Amino acid sequence: MLKVMLQKIWHKKWMVICLLLGSILLIATVVSFPLYRNASYDRMLVDEFDDYLAEKGEWPAMLKFMIMVQKDKNGETIGKMEKTLNELDGVLGVTGKEKVFYYSLSRAELASTTGRSDVDADGLRLGFMSGLPEHAKIISGRMFCDGGMDENGVIEVVVSQECLINNNLLVGETLEFLYMADKKGSPFRIKVVGVFEEQDSTDFYWQVRPSSLGIVALTDEQLFRDTFLGERAEKYTITCYYYDLFNYEDVTAVTANNLYDKTVYYQEQSGVKSTMSAPVYREIMERYFAKRTRIEATLFILQVPVLVLLGAFLFMISGQMYDMERNEISVMKSRGGSSAQMLRLYLYQSIFLAVIGAAGGIPLGAQFCKLLGSTQNFLEFNVRRRLNVTFDATVWKFAAGAMLACVLIMTIPALKHSRLTIVKLKQSNALKKSALWEKLFLDVILLGISLYGYYNYSKNKEMMVMSVMEGQSLDPLLYLSSSLFIVGMGLLFLRLQPWVIRLVYLLGKRFWRPASYAAFMENVKNGRKQQFIMLFMILTISLGMYHAVVARTILQNAKENEEYLVGSDILIKEVWTKTPSNSSNPNAGGPAFIEPDYRKYSSMPDVEAYTKVYSDASASFKTKDKGQMGCTLLAIQTKEYGLITDVSEEITEKAYRLYLNELATEPKGVLASSNLRDSLGFKIGDEVAYKDKYGTTIEAKIIDFFDYWPGYQPTSLVTGADGTAQKQTNTLLVANLATVQKKIGVYPYEIWAKLKPGCDSTNVYAWIRENDVHVNKFRDKAREMEQVVRDPLLQGTNGVLTMGFIVTIILCAVGYLIYWIMSIRSREMVFGVLRACGMHKGELFHMLIDEQLFSGVLSIFAGIGIGTLTSRMFVPMLQMAYAASNQVLPMKLIVNQTDMNRLYVVIAGVMATCLLTLLILVLKLNVTKALKLGEE
Amino acid sequence: MGENANYIIEIQNVGRTFNTASGPFQALKSVNASIPEGVLTILKGRSGSGKTTLLNIVGALDQPTTGRVIIEGQDVSRLNDYQRETLRRKKIGFVFQSVSLIPTMNAFQNVEFSMRMAGVKGDHKKRVEECLKMVGLGSRMHHMPSEMSGGEQQRVAIARAIAHGPSIILADEPTAELDSAMAAEVTKLFQEMTKKEHITIVMTTHDVGLMDAGDMVIELENGVQISQNAEA
Ligand SMILES: Nc1ncnc2c1ncn2[C@@H]1O[C@H](COP(=O)(O)OP(=O)(O)O)[C@@H](O)[C@H]1O
Ligand SMILES: [Mg+2]
Repeated sequence: MLKVMLQKIWHKKWMVICLLLGSILLIATVVSFPLYRNASYDRMLVDEFDDYLAEKGEWPAMLKFMIMVQKDKNGETIGKMEKTLNELDGVLGVTGKEKVFYYSLSRAELASTTGRSDVDADGLRLGFMSGLPEHAKIISGRMFCDGGMDENGVIEVVVSQECLINNNLLVGETLEFLYMADKKGSPFRIKVVGVFEEQDSTDFYWQVRPSSLGIVALTDEQLFRDTFLGERAEKYTITCYYYDLFNYEDVTAVTANNLYDKTVYYQEQSGVKSTMSAPVYREIMERYFAKRTRIEATLFILQVPVLVLLGAFLFMISGQMYDMERNEISVMKSRGGSSAQMLRLYLYQSIFLAVIGAAGGIPLGAQFCKLLGSTQNFLEFNVRRRLNVTFDATVWKFAAGAMLACVLIMTIPALKHSRLTIVKLKQSNALKKSALWEKLFLDVILLGISLYGYYNYSKNKEMMVMSVMEGQSLDPLLYLSSSLFIVGMGLLFLRLQPWVIRLVYLLGKRFWRPASYAAFMENVKNGRKQQFIMLFMILTISLGMYHAVVARTILQNAKENEEYLVGSDILIKEVWTKTPSNSSNPNAGGPAFIEPDYRKYSSMPDVEAYTKVYSDASASFKTKDKGQMGCTLLAIQTKEYGLITDVSEEITEKAYRLYLNELATEPKGVLASSNLRDSLGFKIGDEVAYKDKYGTTIEAKIIDFFDYWPGYQPTSLVTGADGTAQKQTNTLLVANLATVQKKIGVYPYEIWAKLKPGCDSTNVYAWIRENDVHVNKFRDKAREMEQVVRDPLLQGTNGVLTMGFIVTIILCAVGYLIYWIMSIRSREMVFGVLRACGMHKGELFHMLIDEQLFSGVLSIFAGIGIGTLTSRMFVPMLQMAYAASNQVLPMKLIVNQTDMNRLYVVIAGVMATCLLTLLILVLKLNVTKALKLGEE
Repeated sequence: MGENANYIIEIQNVGRTFNTASGPFQALKSVNASIPEGVLTILKGRSGSGKTTLLNIVGALDQPTTGRVIIEGQDVSRLNDYQRETLRRKKIGFVFQSVSLIPTMNAFQNVEFSMRMAGVKGDHKKRVEECLKMVGLGSRMHHMPSEMSGGEQQRVAIARAIAHGPSIILADEPTAELDSAMAAEVTKLFQEMTKKEHITIVMTTHDVGLMDAGDMVIELENGVQISQNAEA
């Protein structure tokens, strides 16, 4: 049996290679899903932690405990606590980064042994901080010696600068505790041997900064433990701080659950719960888990169409292969082979192929996964950002499932054939009547469902956005309706195509040259056999197009929106200090500030232009009926502002610059958001009065209305206390900075800057640091854009769509070629007859081209048409679900011509290869040999 | 160029050697024959004797290694591929041993197709019907090849071979898949056609019973012509 099978496989090697390719791709695609999911979840969590770190400058992966122990008998409480803490990392399943134990005795009075009276040491706490010598830098004196006690029994301590000053201490001085004595009864003595500070101020060891150790003298840990802990602990009140920092980089999707559960346990149930502060990472993780659910559903649904195509490909090729074996099968049958035997043969063959498929597909899946993770944009990869691929049990489960699916798909077409006998073969060769789907009107039904989905969503756009905002995952029907639409349209095309061909045929019935005539006949009579490959072509091409447009649109819109929302390349807001209360206040209603030096900004590197922007989110109008209405005031310097910001003309009523010109020529003028006109009935030329946040009234004249302004969101969705999303209208007034400042005075403004082309913010950062600019707010557009692209949902979507696009293109190319080459080979005898009847080579070629035209080319065009239509209809719907909460700009459908060209080039390549094969076949066709084929 | 204008087909010293994996194989050795217009020639011999090879050469489907074939006074071996194909579609009708119909066309369309190929002007429909009636298939014009028996298919092939009015019909074992009664009928049909339409027909057969039907018999054995007897 094995020999028969291997022989069969060798005989049909091209088909088998295609089947292998299909199985490999199918298994790889399936496997890449859990692989990517785990890997991206790993990274997503790390990214979340990273973001927190970057934003707050604090290590997020940390647990903090504090306990004050009084009269601890034999030090049991502290002992238990320490035991728990030492086990902590193991239980959480993390690797420790830093563990800091910081213990101190309660404040105790001291006196200088030299009798210096101005020593102010009535409040020092003696303590230790584990690992201090490794992390501290001595700025005066030295570190305490090993063991912490000198030969005279004096405890050596180090203190911070603050402590030294606060307590008026001197380095080298020995002090004596007034009321604290050792076992023998002699008072403890300490000697300040040095002053320390952070060796590296960014070191997360410094959870307690030296600057806040104002009354603490630190000594050696072991000495402290020997002297004050254990059985001696009973005598003291000891305050213990524990900081457990772990490496969040090591937390994976798999270990995250345990980490979270154990954290919750420690926080809510364990014996140490009362000593623990709420960890910041709990919230980070909760956000992460919620995101994860949404991503999982989305990515899976996005992969379904590609999986279906892969299945269809396998089904088609194996069907084709069995078709070619029809004769062999019926011969075997007539020699007494049973159906069961045949079926078993095919089953073994499928299993054999699936096993090889898995051997190739699983490693390929890992590669896919890496590729997915490095997707930067549609069909763009960033090789530096690679994912770690780890295989866990789920991956193997997915692989096994995919193998089983492969085996089934490849064996099912054999079911039909194994029952064939010669008689049945003859019968089934006769042309069949309409296909089942035609009778069932499947095309109409599918279109109906998808259009219903389309209609439903077009009607409920807003509700949909809100539900996404409330954290629900995307409705699968949304994806499904676009896929169903494609399939429905494809089937509809198949229903209509024969009629079109027939019509063309009838129109020129008398004039068709033999070649076209033969091609028509082939299509009219044999067209049904080609329906599957035609549908396959339509699906691959339209899905490919649709995927490309979806990916581009989602990402591009998200980026443009972010660009709009951020407004300028760089935004800096300095820390302003208030003027001493006794000086005169130049400001009208609010506090007076000292304006930082503005001229220094001219030395900012890599900057093309910069300007002052004053914004006040709490300005207000007094209206006739609605009372006080809040609005945002933006005061700008029009000329500079115009150099720095821009709004695409595509969306504004008139050019953005014109608005700025209007404002420049009218000092008292304000530009108002159009919703002020709509809700308050303002008109151009109206004199209005508004108040700033300190209550100063400013008179103004409305000179124009706008819909979009850099950074302005006309409406926003806010999540209410009950978790439901609510729409909120935002209004904006844009005024001249000079006018506003003249009226209300100078308040802290922001600096908006535009970078020179090709520059990033690195040098600006450096400039800020070098010049000691105290920044209270800093926005970097490039960084925020980066975050948008990095969003796992967007990136995963992009990755899956990119991969889907590549897989569909491969399938489309291979499927079409193998189908045509095989089906044309099987007609070699007919070609022989035609040539014998005197058909020229050119005519034969012409005939085959016509056949391609009627089915292949027509379905390619249908695919392109359906793809375009589907994109126009469904992409806006899909995009909405991604953009959700802060989408301001109207959706733009992005059809990237390069993507389309790629698709066309592949199709053209396929067609060219196909034609070349046909040409070779025609040229090589040996008429007498072909005719002999019929003689057996 | 033709030495004798009375002969429509002249086979002069035709030999054919095939290059096979086991060295050259001579399938035909110096065959000579002159066939006059309007006769039915039977090419007989056992299987493998070279009948099909010779017929293919006469029909300009294959070229002889030695010698030449002259059709209507024209040396076929001097024609290029294109001219030979044109010769085939205008002057010659083929009937092959097994199925030679185009599976995607029905009987009518198959017959009409040869007229289309030959570029016959005028009313195709009448001529097709006439031809199909001639082979006794007037009632099955719109059947597909797959819906007909082997004999019926063969008769359609004959109708197709004559429809465009060729001067020569070459039939390779047209009776091989027919029962003896049917075979006799087909042969009779050929005889009638030579008489009525003045067509020259060459058919091969290994059926001993049909040998006498021809006006002329050429016998081959292992590629060697062993006899040619033209009827007196
Ligand atoms: N293309 C070919 N290559 C090699 N040998 C061939 C080829 N065609 C025919 N032959 C051989 O030439 C001999 C004559 O064949 P053929 O003319 O088909 O015989 P017949 O038609 O009389 O049965 C056979 O032995 C056959 O094997
Ligand atoms: Mg033969």
